[in-house]
Amino acid sequence: MRIVVDLNRCQGYAQCCYAAPEHFELRGHEILFYDPAPPERERARIERAQQACPVRAISIEPADLAEQDEP
Amino acid sequence: MRSETLFSEVMDPKNRANPYPLYELFRQTPVAKQSDGSFVVSTHENIRTLLFDPRLSSEDLPPSRRPHTGNPIKDWILNPIKNRVVTAHRPFIFRDPPDHDTLRKFVMDEFTIQRVNDAHGRVESLVDEFIERCRGRSEVCLVEDLSYPLPVAVICDLLGVPEEDEPHFQRWATQLATALEPDARHDETGRHAIVAAFDEISAYMRKLIREKRRRPADDMLSRLAKPGNKRTPGMGDIDLIATGILLLVAGHETTVNLITNAMLTLLRNPDELEKLKADPERAPRLIEEVLRYEPPVHFRTRKATSPIDIDRVTIPAGAPVILLFAAANRDPARFANPDRFDPDRADNQHFGFGGGLHYCVGAPLARIEAEIALVTLCRRLREPRLMSDPPPYRSGASLRGPASLGIHINGIS
Ligand code: HEM
Ligand code: SF4
Repeated sequence: MRIVVDLNRCQGYAQCCYAAPEHFELRGHEILFYDPAPPERERARIERAQQACPVRAISIEPADLAEQDEP
Repeated sequence: MRSETLFSEVMDPKNRANPYPLYELFRQTPVAKQSDGSFVVSTHENIRTLLFDPRLSSEDLPPSRRPHTGNPIKDWILNPIKNRVVTAHRPFIFRDPPDHDTLRKFVMDEFTIQRVNDAHGRVESLVDEFIERCRGRSEVCLVEDLSYPLPVAVICDLLGVPEEDEPHFQRWATQLATALEPDARHDETGRHAIVAAFDEISAYMRKLIREKRRRPADDMLSRLAKPGNKRTPGMGDIDLIATGILLLVAGHETTVNLITNAMLTLLRNPDELEKLKADPERAPRLIEEVLRYEPPVHFRTRKATSPIDIDRVTIPAGAPVILLFAAANRDPARFANPDRFDPDRADNQHFGFGGGLHYCVGAPLARIEAEIALVTLCRRLREPRLMSDPPPYRSGASLRGPASLGIHINGIS
């Protein structure tokens, strides 16, 4: 799974950080750091972060086509 | 229906159970001037624009005025001073930058991810305990049995407010919440009641903070009350009291609506109830969709500090501006099939927690409470059915939600 955060949209609300603190971190209250390729087993928490973002800046994409084809 | 009087229809209690057709009418005049001079904004794009517009002020409450007592010292000296002090130290939800930002930061620094997520276990055991109390009954009232007591217990825990004081501040909280309703500004008796509740809760909070300073505990009020030093000055006493009250009250009258609206919506959409039961991981999407579809806060009022041109309308300086979040949440220009409850919608950018500078501080906490409450209710209530639809509503049009939600059950698992 691959995460893309549209940093132009991101307003630093930090809601993603509450939902999945291991994968999103806001430094200095404004700059978002995140794990661009979290393991698949973390999907539920990443989706929670995606849902919580008030400006929908986070998108989740399959890591590559091979992974998408996995059963 | 003329758009200039449409907002009085929104305020009319007879439309409380279903205000959405009125909101649809509003969206046809996206920036609608009302006969009292206020402007109602109801489309997603316009609200998003205005939430980031520094010309809109949140310092909209009418200045506080204490009633005439007949005692000249009170009427001419003490109360005018009190009025001025209170107006100058409003809680930060009613303040603009830079003061808003300074005060909000004190709270955000305390509202850490760790502390919010630590509430998880406590919420779970509270929910189980409240549901357990309903054992042996065939009817429950969701509001009384769970939606109201849960957020109170959680915020008391976090702040360090003794829960046994709850009966007092329930009344104060309810009274203070009416300050958000636009009709409060025209109603002198109502405003006096708000000031009276405010004086009582302030006295209570002042005492509590003194106690926290004397015996600091591991809670948010103790930490906020810690005296500052030269390098990092603490919050002034009056701001501290206002902030404590805001935190105590803000979660009360809102989270109760989120939990109740969520359960009401599930009972009206039994297939979604079954889906949640089968897959508790659906809870976050489901709660987000409730925040869009039946939000606990329908609108907030701001004031234009200078003229604002928007959507071919000029809002003059000084005009109250009502941001009708609940209408924007069902804007067909933003959401496909907006009147359909669909937790699986991909792009759900709702205004359930507002947006911009004042975006809800308590959102992560409210989400945890609502998710756990809903998952547990679905798991433990056997064959829940609504006793009446629509349920009776509380009077608020802004903080809108059922006064009670009777549910028939066939026992508890
Ligand atoms: C479902 C529950 C809740 C909902 C729907 C909700 C909704 C909102 C909304 C719409 C605003 C924006 C107000 C504006 O733009 O003028 C707001 C602000 C705020 N909320 Fe919440 N809220 C909830 C729970 C809570 C809780 C549990 C707390 C406290 C722990 C809280 C504390 C605050 C505070 C302090 C603000 C002011 C933020 C500021 O002005 O910067 N809320 N809330
Ligand atoms: S929740 Fe959204 S806006 Fe907030 S920090 Fe995360 S990505 Fe940015």
